[in-house]
Amino acid sequence: MKYVIEVENLTKSFGGRDVLQNVTLNIRRGESYVVIGGSGSGKSVLVKCILGLLKPESGIVKINGQNTSKLSQKAMFQTLLKCGVLYQGGALFDSLNVIDNISFGLIYGYGKSQKEAYGIALEKLNAVDLDEKVAKIFPAELSGGMKKRVALARAIATNPDIIFFDEPTTGLDPITTGIIDELIVKCTKEMGISALSITHDISSLRRISDIVGLLYNGSIIWEGKNEELDTTDNPYIRQFLAGSPVGPFTQ
Amino acid sequence: MDFLSKIGRMFIKFLSSIGSVTLFSVSSVSSGIVPPYYWKQIAKQSIQIGYFSLPVVGMTAIFTGMALTLQCYAGFSEFTAETAIPSVVMIAMTRELGPVLTALMVAGRLGASMTAEIGTMKVTEQIDALMTLSVNSYKYLVFPRLLVSIVLMPFLVFIYDIIGILGGYVVGVYYLDFNPTNYIHNTLSSMSNWDVVSGLIKGAVFGFIICLMGCYHGYRSNGGAEGVGRATTNSVVSSSILILLLDCILTFVLF
Repeated sequence: MKYVIEVENLTKSFGGRDVLQNVTLNIRRGESYVVIGGSGSGKSVLVKCILGLLKPESGIVKINGQNTSKLSQKAMFQTLLKCGVLYQGGALFDSLNVIDNISFGLIYGYGKSQKEAYGIALEKLNAVDLDEKVAKIFPAELSGGMKKRVALARAIATNPDIIFFDEPTTGLDPITTGIIDELIVKCTKEMGISALSITHDISSLRRISDIVGLLYNGSIIWEGKNEELDTTDNPYIRQFLAGSPVGPFTQ
Repeated sequence: MDFLSKIGRMFIKFLSSIGSVTLFSVSSVSSGIVPPYYWKQIAKQSIQIGYFSLPVVGMTAIFTGMALTLQCYAGFSEFTAETAIPSVVMIAMTRELGPVLTALMVAGRLGASMTAEIGTMKVTEQIDALMTLSVNSYKYLVFPRLLVSIVLMPFLVFIYDIIGILGGYVVGVYYLDFNPTNYIHNTLSSMSNWDVVSGLIKGAVFGFIICLMGCYHGYRSNGGAEGVGRATTNSVVSSSILILLLDCILTFVLF
């Protein structure tokens, strides 16, 4: 199997407005694919459609070769066990402390014992450079950067094949952003995990991407390697990277 | 024509809401049929719904029982029918006030908190996170609440009945100078099992409604804090109206 994620002609509408129109993208094993695009361009919707959280109007989504639209709920949950997700705000469960958050998928998804799950959770806490002392703290007491690290620990706790990062560095200072980016690269490169990320942050984009796709008006209008970002003459990419208010995005 | 199309749109919206609530309740109930069962969640909800509701239910019961006895006395004494007061208080408590007032208090306390909690989880993507961690959110969040509400609401109604009747006894005996033995005798002699059981059945139905509305509006909330606030209001209003409507229907059916 060449690709871990295959998306073909995916279309999703809300209230008669096509948010995604015939989106096609493929992600190879161990590859880090980053989707960029303006606010409201449908990046989060794309990820939610791939994860089965939203039902697309048409198109095919395959995760590890399995067509997700044809899977039963039980089979979909089995497929999702091989996926980790880092949400924009962390999406940590408020009522659970850090260690319970990280071990949640291991206990309820994989059916591991609490003792075993806690052992793995502590290992993952160390992997994201957090001390074991934070294990009993509740999410409300964590800083933004710590929340993201805990959420990353939860995303990698089940040793997934694929991780989805939804704006992982939004709202963080440049240093914490750099640390989170480093952790993402560590996860994808050292652990061989494929990644689909969404970001607005150009410095993050350069650090974490292998392949970049630009989503505009519901379609991927440019796709290329990280190194091609600076050499392409695509006007949309040029405007996006320059952060210029003048260009095809705003015309 | 504009007026007619408005009515048509409202009717379609109404039907669509009924369909949406029905689908939600079917998904929630069916999710709990097969294992795994989340016992920790069930225990947590039992404490939240059963134990922590006792003070508010108890206070409502004792004050209503006292006030009802006084009101009955004011009316019945005009016809020298004071001896009927214990049985009237007992019937009013067990058949009507117990289930309805317990349900309205629980709807205000728990229905609102269920909506706020689930709504916040929805807008902060915690429900999406549950799904992507391979946990059925209906099974984890809704079913334990539904089960506990249906099982424990009759228990709360029963507690209300006892405390409410006791409140009537306190006012009757210590304020209106009723003979204590006669008061107890009049209460018990006119009490039938069905008076109590029918109230408990109402309680179970109301428990289902409160939880269903609380969770449904939580799942439907969007748009941040304002959306969660709106959903909470809708949850309390809709469950209160449904409680009163179903109380009327159940009273026709059960008596």
